[in-house]
Amino acid sequence: MASIITATTTSGLTHSADNSGVLQLASGTGNLVTVPSVTGTAMVSGNMPAFRATKSSSQTISNNTLTKVTFDTETFDTANCFASSTFTPNVAGYYQVNYSYSAQSLTTGRNYAMSGYIFKNSNIYTTFEHNITSAADQYGNTYVALVYCNGSTDNIEVYFYQNNSSSGTVLLAGSSSTTQFSAVLVRGA
Amino acid sequence: MMTLADKIVEIYPELNGTNFIKIGIIVQNDSDGKGDYIKNWSHPDFPQPTKEQLDAIK
Repeated sequence: MASIITATTTSGLTHSADNSGVLQLASGTGNLVTVPSVTGTAMVSGNMPAFRATKSSSQTISNNTLTKVTFDTETFDTANCFASSTFTPNVAGYYQVNYSYSAQSLTTGRNYAMSGYIFKNSNIYTTFEHNITSAADQYGNTYVALVYCNGSTDNIEVYFYQNNSSSGTVLLAGSSSTTQFSAVLVRGA
Repeated sequence: MMTLADKIVEIYPELNGTNFIKIGIIVQNDSDGKGDYIKNWSHPDFPQPTKEQLDAIK
C-alpha cells in the first residue's frame, strides 16, 4: 500500500525545503519535479477554467450599433464561469480569449466595415476593423487576446459592429461551428 | 421600426452613410432587453441629441 502523509491539524499540510531552498517531488528514478521558489497557486487541469460557447440561432446586428453577441449553447464550461454570455473566471490569472464570428446575409458588391470587440469589464479591450467589398453573402474573422482576470469580479464579453453603405442589417450565424466564444487559463496570477 | 442609429441620421442627415464609431459616436446594445443607447458622443460639430428629439421621431 502506498504511504500517505495526512495532516493531523486543521491548518493543512506544508512541506518545506531545507536551507538549500530546493523542494522536489520524485515520481521515479531520475524523475524529479522541482517546486519553484515562488508564491502562488499551482495550476493543474482541475482548477484551470475553460469554456466554449456557440449560438443556436442567428443574431441581427443593426447598422452602426455596437451589439453584445449572445451565446446560448455551451460546448463545455469546466468551472461554471460562463453565464448570460459573459465569462467571469473564478481563478486569477492570464486567459487566452478566442472569438470568431461569421457574418451572413451580406449583399454582393456592398461595402462593409466589420469589427469584432473583446470587452473586459464593459470596456473595449481589443478590436480591429475589416473593410471589405462583399464578394459573397458571408464573411468571417477571428480575434484572440490575452487578458488578465482577478478571479472574482473581472469579466469578458464579446461585441460586434458593422457599418455598411446601405444601412442594412447583418446576421451573425447561429450554429455549433461558426460564431463562437472561448477562453482558457494559460497562466496563474 | 427605426433604430436609434437611424433616428440620429434623421436628426443629422449629414451623418448618413458615415461610420459612427469613426466619428466619435458609439450607439450600443448590451443584448439585455434594454435596447440601444448612446454610450459615447464626442462628435466635434453636432451636439448629442436630446431624449425629446429622439422620442419625437417615430
